[in-house]
Amino acid sequence: MAPNISPLIIFLASIITSNMILSNFLGMCSYLSVSGEYRTATGLGMAVTLVLVLTTAINWLVYQYVILPLELVYLQYIIFIMVIAALVQILEMGMDRFTPDLHAKLGIFLPLITVNCAILGVTLFMVIRSYNFVQSLLFGLGSGLGWWLAINMLAAIREKMAKVKLPPGIRGPALSFIITGIMAMAFVGFSGIFTIQ
Amino acid sequence: MKKGHVYTLLFMLLISAVLTFALAAAYEGFKPAIRKNAALQEQRAVLYALGLDTGLKDAEVEAFYKDSIREGELNGVPVLVYGQGGPQAYAVPFEGSALWGALRGYLGVSAPLDQITGVVFTYQNETPGLGGRINEEVYKEQFRGLPITPDTVLSYGEGLDAVTGATQTSAAVLRTLNKALRESIFPGEAK
Amino acid sequence: MAVEKPRAIIRRTLLTDNQVLRAILGICSSLAVTNTMKNSLVMGLGLSFVTGLSSLTLSALRSVIPHRVRMLVQTLVISAYVIFVDLLLKAYLPDISKQLGPYVGLIITNCIIMGRAEAYAQSNPPIPAMIDGLFAGLGYTGVLLIISLIREILGFGTVFGMKVAFEGFVPWTIMIMPPAAFFIIGSIIWAISARQAKQAAKQAR
Repeated sequence: MAPNISPLIIFLASIITSNMILSNFLGMCSYLSVSGEYRTATGLGMAVTLVLVLTTAINWLVYQYVILPLELVYLQYIIFIMVIAALVQILEMGMDRFTPDLHAKLGIFLPLITVNCAILGVTLFMVIRSYNFVQSLLFGLGSGLGWWLAINMLAAIREKMAKVKLPPGIRGPALSFIITGIMAMAFVGFSGIFTIQ
Repeated sequence: MKKGHVYTLLFMLLISAVLTFALAAAYEGFKPAIRKNAALQEQRAVLYALGLDTGLKDAEVEAFYKDSIREGELNGVPVLVYGQGGPQAYAVPFEGSALWGALRGYLGVSAPLDQITGVVFTYQNETPGLGGRINEEVYKEQFRGLPITPDTVLSYGEGLDAVTGATQTSAAVLRTLNKALRESIFPGEAK
Repeated sequence: MAVEKPRAIIRRTLLTDNQVLRAILGICSSLAVTNTMKNSLVMGLGLSFVTGLSSLTLSALRSVIPHRVRMLVQTLVISAYVIFVDLLLKAYLPDISKQLGPYVGLIITNCIIMGRAEAYAQSNPPIPAMIDGLFAGLGYTGVLLIISLIREILGFGTVFGMKVAFEGFVPWTIMIMPPAAFFIIGSIIWAISARQAKQAAKQAR
């Protein structure tokens, strides 16, 4: 049974109050390594959002119409990750063939995405929380946009910080983590900004 | 070493088959233990809501539960009743939605319906470390012993604190509990 | 190719290039469970188990795995072990399994495992590969435990659930919330890289 929560609330909450990175720590690897430059961060953010929406939709269908009827719940991790890997592969080939421009822009990021924890994470959360199709779709979209927002913010701050004199040893991942901590603290302040019902 | 398509395909099929078979076997092997744990957790939850969870060992829970808890009814709602002879307390199941997903659990009330004996959540999917902290003793223990009347509407403030940083989840918990009070424990009373 | 001695592998994975700190891999899924030490320990051990065994398996199969589908096979093998850990936890540690929730499944996407498979298991014999994976996982467990020790002491006043704080200690709620995890890991990395920078400067002189 799907919980009685408005999809819109799920959408907003997944961007702001329960951001994939800032409160769920998902998708950290590529978040840290691809946030050096604002433009590339935007590209990756876009690719993650696209893949998230598609994988939540497909994994939802797979879960409802394959995993549940065949009682394969204990194999779900393997099935979900294979769906994600296959989808990313197909997406990359399709883009290469039909939209070379888009492929040039997003293509290089696609292989990074299979192992992005946020993708599998959203699927697992969606299944555990037993969302219906619309809820899942908006949860996927919101999580993607939230992830995109976070990586763009970090990239923007890091670009500015590049010119600043800093204490020895802090530059690099340490700085990214501390910036992220401050952002996460600010985002905690958003909780309570909208009400359910 | 170059390998052809046929080999690749066969290899993938073989490895998938082996892994699936191994996992299916493992699953069958663990199934009884997983089932037993699920039942045990449910029983422990009921005892906790009734204020009876006094550090029983796993083996004792089942026997104690069998002896002292029976299925019953409260205002036409199926509940779990504690007490030899007359009922001493009821564990009333509740269900609602929190910030992220469904919320299920038991609300324990004393038999004269004048105080809460405990609250327990058996199913929740809030963010670990934030909303998920409604499962911590600090939060749940606050409800134990709260006096209730047909007019009670629980709210945060004196003696009842929300989980910091999880305003929405905390509010949803009270909404669900108030609904249970209104609909299952004091139905039909003027509000 | 010379095969590393087990002791050398252990020293390398635990001390000289501790996976989390040096490569900043695998932070992903696990920071969320570092608010208590018990969860961190179980998570870390589960991860070590998966890393060790998947490195062993992938290394044993390394000559028969077709190169083209290497990543796919790695993912399959890793997922299979993760499912096994998940079942194990559900059967014997149901409370913790419930608290860790989806984060057990997310071990699959933990970059450490794939990293060890790619960087070491692929080109080394099974036993050293297993030791390498196992201790990479244990080093990671160590880091998780340090983070959760700080968070649990300051956030709850407890260590492994036992009270250690003095009377009247006011818990720092922020420590249990996500931002603290970022600050702590940021500070640890800062401390280590500052020390390394100093050593490098000393050697250069």
